[in-house]
Amino acid sequence: MAEATPVQIFHMEEKRRQYRSGGFFLKVGLLALFVLVPFLFPSFKTVDLAMQIIIFATLVASFDILLGYTGILSFGHGMFFGIGAYCVAFLVGKYGAPSYANLALGFVIAALVASALALVISFLSLRVKAIFFAMITLALAELAIVLATKLSGFTGGEDGISLNMPGILAVSFNAGNFLGLEITGRILTYYFILLACLGLFLAMLRFTHSPLGRVLQAIRDNVERAEALGYKTFVFQAISITFGCVVAALVGGLYGMWVGYVNPESCLGVLSIMLAILLMCIIGGMGTLYGGIVGAAFFMITETFLPDLQHLAKDFFPSAVLLHNVLERWHLVLGVLFILVVIFFPKGIIGSVRESIDRRK
Amino acid sequence: MEETIFKRWSRGLTIAGAIVLFLLPLIGIPGKTYLTLTIAGLAMGMLLFLVASGVSVIFGLMDVLNFAHGALFAWGAYVGFTVLGYLMKWVEADSVLQNFAAFSLAIVAAMVVVSLVGIVLERVIVRRVYGSHLFQILITFGATIVLVELIRVFWGPNDEVMTVPLTFSKSWDIMDIIINRYRIICIAVGLVVYSVIQLILKKTKLGMIVRAGVEDSDMVQAMGYNIFLLFTGVFAAGAALAALGGLTMSLFTLQVYADMGGTYLLFAFIVVIIGGLGSVTGSLVGALIVGLTYNYVAYLVPWAAAGANIMIMIIILLIRPTGLFPVGK
Repeated sequence: MAEATPVQIFHMEEKRRQYRSGGFFLKVGLLALFVLVPFLFPSFKTVDLAMQIIIFATLVASFDILLGYTGILSFGHGMFFGIGAYCVAFLVGKYGAPSYANLALGFVIAALVASALALVISFLSLRVKAIFFAMITLALAELAIVLATKLSGFTGGEDGISLNMPGILAVSFNAGNFLGLEITGRILTYYFILLACLGLFLAMLRFTHSPLGRVLQAIRDNVERAEALGYKTFVFQAISITFGCVVAALVGGLYGMWVGYVNPESCLGVLSIMLAILLMCIIGGMGTLYGGIVGAAFFMITETFLPDLQHLAKDFFPSAVLLHNVLERWHLVLGVLFILVVIFFPKGIIGSVRESIDRRK
Repeated sequence: MEETIFKRWSRGLTIAGAIVLFLLPLIGIPGKTYLTLTIAGLAMGMLLFLVASGVSVIFGLMDVLNFAHGALFAWGAYVGFTVLGYLMKWVEADSVLQNFAAFSLAIVAAMVVVSLVGIVLERVIVRRVYGSHLFQILITFGATIVLVELIRVFWGPNDEVMTVPLTFSKSWDIMDIIINRYRIICIAVGLVVYSVIQLILKKTKLGMIVRAGVEDSDMVQAMGYNIFLLFTGVFAAGAALAALGGLTMSLFTLQVYADMGGTYLLFAFIVVIIGGLGSVTGSLVGALIVGLTYNYVAYLVPWAAAGANIMIMIIILLIRPTGLFPVGK
């Protein structure tokens, strides 16, 4: 065998280190935590919080493929998320009976619609400038909300659509007691979504670490150089956008399964969903995939416990008016935080932590 | 040679397209309604032009895509709302002079306050991200969140109703065609602003430097002009245009609310994509197209109004990806 090249040596060392590093145990621990949540904290609120974190972490990771790995900002990611949710809702809610086949078909249709739309948008916008993508997706996302609201005969309008889950995923299903936990359809749905999100996350990791992912990073860092090296940047960007958007649509379908209800505001909203995705991605760290988990956890936990925090502040510090005002205007704080992170920690929490660890080595 | 022929051909195409667009709705609309709709569309187009030109000029000179433009637009509306609130006596008086004084004072106040906000915005955050489109969008989007929340802090979270100066809200009745006076004022304001921008850009030394900066900012700097001061100035001017647009638009739609910027920013984006990013004339033409189409379609097929403009944008992107009046760069 020929002598190993430096790159091969690096890869071999990386592989040797892979299962012994602290990061690996952290990831396994995190997964174990999510698996055990229903057993440790069986209250509805905590299980719901954990599920929201998982779903949004996956969604943000798919957004990160566009933003962090391809350098393209999309304001339509919420729209793809909503399309997924609506497709599944149509199949198991409004236009079909709840059956496993319909559920699967809903996800397939979601993926097909999302990929077709993503291809059309990338064809329209990437010909000119990458920034057109941000503007066009913003316009289409607004259009999607208008259509979903106005075409109420088809989409249910503002009232939205309720989903009915088939078989063991149905709310009414109950398989008895296991280790002190009622195994209901809800718990099974939790594990199903956890499994699906894990699969999607691993697929995204594979995608970004493939040779294709490397090319995408090269394009992000320097378009002209990538072009000069002979890569058709347009094709690569279109592939990456499509992949990210399809994942977003699938996650949207999972979200619909969990909340059992879709409407324009909760699934398509630029200001509700899109803002959350962007904040999570930036705060967690773009170009890392794992940043989504940190960002989603931070955002969801503060969002869930903010009312409690406000009550606490009123009970314990009744005179601290400033503190109350800050907690009342939480979005203002998030906005300032967002700007500060973009200016001072453009790599977000994960990126900055990684950097400091590397420096210590 | 080939290029000039193509240019002439495309100009003819543009004009022909514009005429068709103007006359096509006549098929489905009775003549008098058509005229009323056209005036409404022109007024709306002029208001959109005020918003879009700010985005376009800032992009043309500074290569910055300002997502905070919508928030500045809302700020303009709110400042104008406050000033008109103080001048309620003049607003409600049945005198053109007093109405006009209140209107002008509100405009001046809105433009001054918002351009100050714009200067702070440019100096504090936008300046840090020159050269990277991605970070510009991100950071101005963050600025939008903050500015919109600040509106809620200063003016409260509720929607407000705008009071139009009394004589402005009346209509003229010319041969059974009802013409709302304020719409004519909007068209006039739009034309005045367009001429002022063109005059400044084409006839003054400042405008020459700005145009040179659009072409090649490094060279302008090498000639000894402080390009950063110029950037701040243009950003402030863009913000002032947003404020003017916000105030006149809120008087048009009779309401102010904190999130209003988002909707009109979207219109502005559609306009600049149609017209060509960086071109003032393109913004005017694009805005008129969008305003007219919106009104015609809203009359003919109400639910399709929002989609029609996006369809036009997509068609234009397919035929001329750089817009109707591309700026060479």
